[in-house]
Amino acid sequence: MDDMIVCRCEEVSLKDLVDTANKYNCSAREVKLRTRAGMGYCGGRTCRPAVDAVLQDATGEKPRNDVPLKVQPPVRPMALSKLGGKDRNEE
Amino acid sequence: MKNNRIVDHPVLGKLEDRKEITFTFDGKEYTGFEGDTVASALLAHGIRTLRVHEESKKPRSIYCNIGHCYECRVTVDDVRGVRACLTPIREGMAVDSGKGLPSPLNPSIPPEELPRTYAEYEEKSKETRGDTDA
Amino acid sequence: MHDVVIIGSGPAGLSAAISCRENNLEVVVVDEFPKAGGRLLGQLHQEPTGEWWNGIKETEALLERANALQTDIRLEVSVYHVEKNDETFKVYTNKGTIESKNVLIATGAAETAAPIPGWTLPGVMSIGAAQVMTNVHRVKVGEKGIVVGVNVLSAAIAREMQLAGVNLHSMALPAANIVTGDQSNPRKVMDALARIAHLAPSKFIQFGSRFARASSFVRNTAVKFFPPGGVKMWGMPVHIRKAILSINGEDKVESVTMCKVTTDGAPIAGTEEEIDVDFVCIAGGLYPLVELAAVMGVPFKYIEELGGHVPVHNEQMETPIEGLYVAGNITGIESAKVAGAQGTVAGYSIAKHALGDEAIGEHVKNSMEQVKTVRANASIQFHPKIDQGRARIAESFEVNHS
Repeated sequence: MDDMIVCRCEEVSLKDLVDTANKYNCSAREVKLRTRAGMGYCGGRTCRPAVDAVLQDATGEKPRNDVPLKVQPPVRPMALSKLGGKDRNEE
Repeated sequence: MKNNRIVDHPVLGKLEDRKEITFTFDGKEYTGFEGDTVASALLAHGIRTLRVHEESKKPRSIYCNIGHCYECRVTVDDVRGVRACLTPIREGMAVDSGKGLPSPLNPSIPPEELPRTYAEYEEKSKETRGDTDA
Repeated sequence: MHDVVIIGSGPAGLSAAISCRENNLEVVVVDEFPKAGGRLLGQLHQEPTGEWWNGIKETEALLERANALQTDIRLEVSVYHVEKNDETFKVYTNKGTIESKNVLIATGAAETAAPIPGWTLPGVMSIGAAQVMTNVHRVKVGEKGIVVGVNVLSAAIAREMQLAGVNLHSMALPAANIVTGDQSNPRKVMDALARIAHLAPSKFIQFGSRFARASSFVRNTAVKFFPPGGVKMWGMPVHIRKAILSINGEDKVESVTMCKVTTDGAPIAGTEEEIDVDFVCIAGGLYPLVELAAVMGVPFKYIEELGGHVPVHNEQMETPIEGLYVAGNITGIESAKVAGAQGTVAGYSIAKHALGDEAIGEHVKNSMEQVKTVRANASIQFHPKIDQGRARIAESFEVNHS
């Protein structure tokens, strides 16, 4: 059960999350920064509610009003050529 | 060859005839129909595994099937990271499964077993056979 | 420069496009899926009247209206960022940047994962994935499978799979872990089903309707004496006293381990059995997909009745950012009919704002009333306290806007 993966993209397990939260006695955000949970290819779309549930339990933090992990663009993986290079076309 | 298509449906009706499309997956030829995504065309042939996890090399397949999770990312006509669940198959499309990447600093390796030089790393890579050409 | 970019071609996005086009606005609808219709496209269930809600037909009807109005719908377009500079919005996509005076974010919902050991194996998929494969792509997801998670959505989709001739062994709860929470608790699951039973289409959930007005004592008794063979839904057992401990297999799903659980959801040692399956559908519920609203800086409120974090908005579908609107499941999890009704409101709101035409206010008001009517008559509801949730978010907008 402990080995169970919570964040699929980064293969962060339940144990990884709980151990990190306990070892560093830190905020949910810090646990994510340390383990990379929610910071993989899918941008946290799959695991965010699950990771938040684990960390709420581990740190005692209640869900706040703002979206728990700051969302940074791009919200879809994009090739650099599209971000500002030759493929960019505007209308 | 398996064909898991739902041809007749009591409410949605009979599946209409669609144009057949031929594409390749890891070099092997498959047929699908116009309107199929890469994922649905392969699943119709019973093929689930679309890639391996880049670090752990464990096999992965579709999870959400609507473009959110990116578990189905494959290489299409040399472009990597393309979602199989959102990409319609086109005639002659060349799809390749997602490959693992070299992971010399895998945390599951005890520190004393980590390679000290690149030559050592190459030796170890050949042994474990989990790594592929980048 | 366009009048409005609508992100999402589901029932909300298409309905909004229609109201905008009726007012001659210059509209662009974008969607990353290769077919229009969003998740409506895959829906298929029987209303309590016996009539079929056919997502494909409903989508065709919306598209017919949108196409008659020459609506620009661009598929296979992924939006990766949205920015507002002065009065102009820039919508960044994989196929170029689109500038617009208004934006409607109608990106719908995503599925909440209910992880259990082995869930990353090929053959495990979300329940929504199974719906799309079955009804949209008409491909069987496997030879024999099992559904993990008993709720309105999973029951509806399990029924859809049965209709399509897909072999399902049963439905059961996920075994309890920190993440699965209430879904692993038979009492909570029964409560959730009983409360919305009268609204739900499937026979199994109607079983719970007997307990809808019953006391919690009666419901607890039902949980305590729940048949060990499960309650059959068109021949398929639905269990709330059995849970899936793990999904097993080397390179793909080969079996699951199921066990009996207490009325609180605790696994009972010695009752494990292995069931051979080649696919597993996990159903953890839905949450609003708000990432684009988040990057735009829209404030949020966490409202459980609506499914999680919801962008602050009012009944006219306006967010606190001028020119930025939201509609559909991004505003809270409800049915496709409600999403469509909200989209119509959003479309008229945008038209009123874009054209500076107060007369359109009448349409806005009428369509707002329509949302309430549709909600009251809903045959599928995901949360019984939805009205409270809606009131709270509208209140938030007032607080935010003053």
